[in-house]
Amino acid sequence: MAEERRFRSVSGLPIALRRRQHSASCRELAVRGPRLQLRSLSAATSAVWLAAYGLFALSENSMVLSAAIFITLIGLIIYLHFVKIDQESLLVIGSLGIQVTSSYASGKESTTFIEMGQVKDVVINEAIHMQKVIYYLCILLQDPEDPQGVSEVVPLFQSSKPRLDCLIEVYKSCQEILGQRKTAPLSS
Amino acid sequence: ENSPAPLPERAIYGFALFLGSWFGFILYLIWAYVPETWLFSLGLTYWPQKYWAVALPVYLLVAVAIGYILLFGINMMSTAPLNSTHTITDNFAKKQQQKKFQEEAIPALRDIPISEVNRMFFLPGK
Repeated sequence: MAEERRFRSVSGLPIALRRRQHSASCRELAVRGPRLQLRSLSAATSAVWLAAYGLFALSENSMVLSAAIFITLIGLIIYLHFVKIDQESLLVIGSLGIQVTSSYASGKESTTFIEMGQVKDVVINEAIHMQKVIYYLCILLQDPEDPQGVSEVVPLFQSSKPRLDCLIEVYKSCQEILGQRKTAPLSS
Repeated sequence: ENSPAPLPERAIYGFALFLGSWFGFILYLIWAYVPETWLFSLGLTYWPQKYWAVALPVYLLVAVAIGYILLFGINMMSTAPLNSTHTITDNFAKKQQQKKFQEEAIPALRDIPISEVNRMFFLPGK
């Protein structure tokens, strides 16, 4: 059972949240950012090539042109493989753990798994980020010595940065599963 | 007691500073504008180079402009990153004592943990 809803990111770009319920204690939430636009790609390429042509006109050195083509290609590959994140997803499996996956535009996927024993809670925190105050979802990791303390904060959805309405949906879904943690050991 | 009311001593200090600053300004203008030969003929040979009459104000203004940018940068550097626990708690909140709950009394002031705040805000009907 999957449903997809449209939201906006902090900077105003359209993003989509897809919720899938695999079972009673397993949910997957995926936030998809906007795809790479053809017009911004052509604008960047034309700007670099015009600048290179201007340099060539000044310096009469044809290496500038081939260097510009090379730089554009390498830059695009690096951007798609290391920078542009298409989809960030959160897979919450009650009693097992939480898996965070980031899929890049080149197809690369990087995943992190946090086992349920380390997870204290999933909360919406607000903090100052680059002259703005933003809401962001984060996983609080348990401090082994202090049961009330937080040892680490893992921010989620860092590149798509959804706004509060999307975060509240994700938060409610996560809390439904995390809330079962306390009741399940008692019932079995 | 410290009050901002006018006092005779304050009037005297103020007037002395006023005269002193006017004297300093006239001296700076003489140093900057009167030709060196005239100053030498008066016997004033060991005054600093006139270059500094222009250089020092420029240094000061550039330092002020850089100070704006520097302050902005220092502020950005001191902001806690999104993955630090300083956005959630601090030493005072960790060491706070829990007062016992009394019936029909206003609860004591304390730092509420973020999980509780989230449940109150975002989970309806709890």
